[in-house]
Amino acid sequence: MNAAAEFAGVSQVFGDFTAVDSIDLRIAQGKLTTLLGPSGCGKTTTLRMLAGYAAPTSGRIDIDGVDSTRTPPEKRNLGMVFQSYALFPHLTVAENVGYGLKLRRVPAAERQQRVQETLELVGLGHLAASKPKKLSGGQQQRVALARAIAIRPKLLLLDEPLSNLDARLRVHMRAELRRIQSETGLTVVLVTHDQDEALEMSDDMVLMRAGRIMQQGAPQDVFPNPANRFVADFLGYENFLTAADGSVLAVRPEHLDVLPVGGPTAAGGLALDATVTDVAYRGVDMLVTVRTVDASGADVRLISDVRSDGLSTVSIGDVVTVTAPPSRLVAMAAEVPEPVR
Amino acid sequence: MRTSRPVAGSLAVLGYIIMIVPILFVVATSFTGGRTLRFPPEGFSLQWFEAALTYDPFISALVSSLQLALIATVLALAIGIPATLAIHRGAIPGKGVIEGLFLSPLIVPELVVGLALYQQLMIGFGLANFETLLLGHTVLMLPYAVRVTGASLALADPALEEAARGLGASPLRAFFTITLPLLRPGIFSAGLLSFLTSFNNVPLSLLLQSRDFRTLPVTMLDYVQQSYDPMVAAMATLILAGTVVIAVIAERTVGFAKIFGGINR
Repeated sequence: MNAAAEFAGVSQVFGDFTAVDSIDLRIAQGKLTTLLGPSGCGKTTTLRMLAGYAAPTSGRIDIDGVDSTRTPPEKRNLGMVFQSYALFPHLTVAENVGYGLKLRRVPAAERQQRVQETLELVGLGHLAASKPKKLSGGQQQRVALARAIAIRPKLLLLDEPLSNLDARLRVHMRAELRRIQSETGLTVVLVTHDQDEALEMSDDMVLMRAGRIMQQGAPQDVFPNPANRFVADFLGYENFLTAADGSVLAVRPEHLDVLPVGGPTAAGGLALDATVTDVAYRGVDMLVTVRTVDASGADVRLISDVRSDGLSTVSIGDVVTVTAPPSRLVAMAAEVPEPVR
Repeated sequence: MRTSRPVAGSLAVLGYIIMIVPILFVVATSFTGGRTLRFPPEGFSLQWFEAALTYDPFISALVSSLQLALIATVLALAIGIPATLAIHRGAIPGKGVIEGLFLSPLIVPELVVGLALYQQLMIGFGLANFETLLLGHTVLMLPYAVRVTGASLALADPALEEAARGLGASPLRAFFTITLPLLRPGIFSAGLLSFLTSFNNVPLSLLLQSRDFRTLPVTMLDYVQQSYDPMVAAMATLILAGTVVIAVIAERTVGFAKIFGGINR
């Protein structure tokens, strides 16, 4: 697959703070790639370097196979949707969407038609004459999206596009963005700190931490096989213990079972005696917290998410066996050393 | 306002009375039929308006004042707007010091500035008094140009210009199509404040006057010291009328809330 954009050894240093630390990254053509990580991981800086708003301190960025490291944003032909939407308040919705076309000297009649088409695509055909201030947050975001798409960009860049929307609208817009991406065939790069969003929307996800890429791949590959403890933690593997060989085992709470002591356990799986320290009933399921000792002799706290109906009552203080089948245990290298920044 | 906050409302009304009543006395006096500056006026006549408008020193001083205020305003905006942009958006060190420098004319006593300009420019460099006055007034206005346009710039999202760049606009194009239109109310109010500051200025204009170039307030002050007839009240009323017309136009075109809203935020 062709790369729509490619980073080679790209760093961004502000004073003595390394925001992005020598990353190599390929953005696949026609796919939706998410940059995922906690705040301060360098994902937004990476996007801004791709858009041309920040020049890398070192390294090289190719867009469409052409070295664009020092190309100013206006010469890149990329569509960017800002977190604040950044709609021009003194222009109407149609003028906002037509701004880039006007700069490209698209004749008025064609421009109007393309503006209308793009607004229809995002479902706002009826609001062309409104001023942005009159629109709701969700509508403003669609205008920002339409404005970025209208110029037929090489890549569509989205900086935390859904974070300012309410929960219900956010879930709806995930599907909308996917639909727009598949209808336009655009290469999309989306920055987010929300792992659900990344898992649901990505063709390719890039997990970042402290300016470095921790893991990249399709959600279906990354989710069951986190490369290290950071990725596992970020993706919701809440239980970590040290195995006999010194490697780290991660188990998701829903894969950890709580059984009476002495019951049958799967061969090769996990079976540890533990003491229940907390029980939280949540209707369909319940969260059972237990304390146990792992192979390294360290005290560990594990959380099991079990279906309420499948379990006889468990109370605080009970001694139980926590088990997990071998297929649900994810082994990974021990703790990633904290990068020096 | 009065229903919810009786004390604040009463104070506001009192404030208006204190500010407006003396002005009403001047306006009333200007329509007098008598020969002295006295209240209540004796009879009604427009004779003093006629006198003011045909009194050459007033008219030439009015032209001088308008010229000075207009050119100084344009100069102050031409220097102040780029300075504001540099302070707020530029990557320059010592922004606080630079902004402080631009605001300092508000603090330094005008007599000191006037005397310094008189000594250095008029005596030292032999500059004509119009040029010196122009320089002095421009400096006096810079705080307004920098502060007021700065306030409206601070309200504008920096991502707007980036968005314009991303859509294909050169930095210059982005400035003229996006930033400048957003700054327009701020520039308008800075201009208005600057113009009025220059037009009403006495200390600087008093120190830097000459026989050939004298501003209207200085000329009026001079006149009051020599004679006590109502012509000066008539001139003051005319200036007041002019100011009201400007205010109405400003309110109709941009709106006061928008013009002065940026200052306090």
